[in-house]
Amino acid sequence: MNLDWLDAFLVSGLFYVMMVIGLALLLHLQLGLARIANFGVVGFWGIGMYAFGVLFVKVDWPFGEVWAFLISVVFGTVVAGLAGLLVGWLIADLDIDGVLVGTLGFATAVWILATTEQDLTGGALGMGGLGFPYDIGSVKANETLWLVILTILVAIILYYVSRVHKSPYGRLLISIGDNEPLARSLGKAPFQTKLWLFAVSSAGMGLLGAMYGVNERFLETGNLGIDITLAAMVGLVLGSTTRMWGAAVGVALTVGLFDVVIQFYLPLPREWYTQAIPVLREMVFGGVLIIVLLFRPYGVLGDMRRDKLMRRMHGG
Amino acid sequence: MAGDHKDTAFAREPTRDSDGSRPRVRIQDAVKSFAGRVVVDVDDLTLGTHPIEGLIGPNGAGKTTLLRMIMHSISLDRGTVTLSSDGDGSEVVLSDLPAHRMARHGVVKTNQVITDFEKLTILDSLLLSVAKATDEWPYRIYREQGLYEDTVEGILWYLDRFEFEDPLGFAKSAGEKKLLDIIRCLLLKPRVLLLDEPTAGLPDDIRDQLMGLIDEKAAEENMAVVIVEHDLHVIWTMSDYVHFMAEGRVLLQGEPRSIREHDTVIEKYLGSGHV
Repeated sequence: MNLDWLDAFLVSGLFYVMMVIGLALLLHLQLGLARIANFGVVGFWGIGMYAFGVLFVKVDWPFGEVWAFLISVVFGTVVAGLAGLLVGWLIADLDIDGVLVGTLGFATAVWILATTEQDLTGGALGMGGLGFPYDIGSVKANETLWLVILTILVAIILYYVSRVHKSPYGRLLISIGDNEPLARSLGKAPFQTKLWLFAVSSAGMGLLGAMYGVNERFLETGNLGIDITLAAMVGLVLGSTTRMWGAAVGVALTVGLFDVVIQFYLPLPREWYTQAIPVLREMVFGGVLIIVLLFRPYGVLGDMRRDKLMRRMHGG
Repeated sequence: MAGDHKDTAFAREPTRDSDGSRPRVRIQDAVKSFAGRVVVDVDDLTLGTHPIEGLIGPNGAGKTTLLRMIMHSISLDRGTVTLSSDGDGSEVVLSDLPAHRMARHGVVKTNQVITDFEKLTILDSLLLSVAKATDEWPYRIYREQGLYEDTVEGILWYLDRFEFEDPLGFAKSAGEKKLLDIIRCLLLKPRVLLLDEPTAGLPDDIRDQLMGLIDEKAAEENMAVVIVEHDLHVIWTMSDYVHFMAEGRVLLQGEPRSIREHDTVIEKYLGSGHV
């Protein structure tokens, strides 16, 4: 397949945008519906990425690489889910401050572990040896196919989230986020609900992390900073924390605009890319977050409209 | 205050006999303090020996705190709360259970202060109430239609009787929110229903209709009802038995007439002009 028309940087940029949309969608379930402000997104994403990478690279698999790859992806996803279960258990009964500190602390713990553990992760030096589970030709072709696979995965996440909105489970999440004591008085179990929510959404974040690791072919602890969490959080808040499309619209307007349009299409000086742009990006994202919270707290798309949804589902 | 009301639709002749199969809540040696001040101190109190019981007392008597202790939405400093039923011989120590398990055992309480899910519509709220835990697993993303079809009849039964401006929209007035709170609880099919000031904020006609319905359910569905209410007309006309609380203790128990005319109740609560 001739992909000369496609720029490798654009593929890489779109991969990042798509991945952040996936993370923001999962964060939407936590923050938008159940009102749990998870500031440790990168921790779950990173633990999935490293668990996958370590198993895939360090284990001498007796069978074919594709199977080793799939088992490692499942392992990374499950480990991230279990981490979500553990963190969920720790923070489920805490107030907003406690959740903030707990999730940030978890993300920091993952970063420290990945940095200081030399044998498994390669520490600060990083770890190579990852690759695509297929080879269809050029690097660009492989990366493009991986982007397509990621896009399908994010579309599945989007579909799942849209079904959650229309399901009793979504209603349960909203009720717990809205008025937990009242939900409890109706026999709902907030603790277990949050636990499962964290397990499922963290597993999804871990899977996205593993996919990112494959795309990069090299794991480095520099990826485990605040960037990923901030990108997902800012995108979601800008779009709308409570509406499903808020994640896609918000991330497109922030990460998409900055990491693809501005960096790819604007003729910026080459030396800016190493130092100035990453710093400027975090500043812009932080500024957007403050401005949105001050002037449009429900985001560009506004608050969720359960009345419209109920009329559509049960109004006939 | 009582005496100001004309006769209402739910007014009837008390008192009905107790039914041994009716579930009962027994509170033993239960104490709750806030900042060193004892708010509730109950030696031995059984609720539910009669279909409808009133729990009255002046402000600060500890009525709402006692109901919240039963629901375990606040913890007890000491003591036990037990749910028992001669009908099936079951006995459950409610004070050992987390708050969300109360509804599963059929013990349900309405809220004194108007409270609602701001992001859920009226229908949402009612569907939430009737949904079982098995309907709400993360993987049951296609369950909504089935849940709706299984439960809509029961929900419409209430919506036909009590008019909401827009059942597919949000509860707007305080009255609608109060009514919704009570219907949510009734949809749980409670065995013991604790009503904490159920008529506050309700228009008179809705109040009468609702209390009439609760009276019917108590009789027909073997439900034990406990009403905390400052509108004493509701207490005198609905209750089969009345408990009088003051300063955290249950001071008197008896039929409405005897409580209403008791010197202690007049002195501590009603005032001499009431009788």
